[in-house]
Amino acid sequence: MATGADQAVGFGLVGFSLLLFTYYSIWVVVLPFVDSDHVIHSYFLPREYSVILPGIAALILLLFVGTFIGIVTWKNRKPKKVD
Amino acid sequence: MTKLLQWLLAVSLIGIAWGLVTFDLLDLHLLPQYKELAWPMPVYLLVVFGCYSLATVGYRVATFNDCEDAAKELQAQIKEAKEDLRKKGLKM
Repeated sequence: MATGADQAVGFGLVGFSLLLFTYYSIWVVVLPFVDSDHVIHSYFLPREYSVILPGIAALILLLFVGTFIGIVTWKNRKPKKVD
Repeated sequence: MTKLLQWLLAVSLIGIAWGLVTFDLLDLHLLPQYKELAWPMPVYLLVVFGCYSLATVGYRVATFNDCEDAAKELQAQIKEAKEDLRKKGLKM
């Protein structure tokens, strides 16, 4: 069975993704149909950030994945050269 | 039709539809709200896919189970194999 920590992490991931999905859906899909002077607009950044922020997140993610792959391949190649 | 072609076709169809709505190539006279909705759609779909992936990974992590019956069966088989090999004169 999955341990308590596993379950906490797993359901935490599920909850985080649901939260992100809800917030982002409201931001992108619902907000254009709400009057621009409604109070709900004060809880969201300006609309262009709904594309800029995921773009930055994707760049950071790609950077991490790239460094990770780089480090792993570099570490795996070194012992072969010693042999 | 290969899977690659299917995917490319679907992606290009969605891309064409997105371009038509976003740049208003057909002069549909859409409401500005719909244009506002349309232009971040590719990023929105990407984020939704990411959320779905994250939720799937999280759910599988939370409900990960180990197969105790299979482990017992495998250990019994290992024992059996070791005894068999010992009978045939292999030293371990």
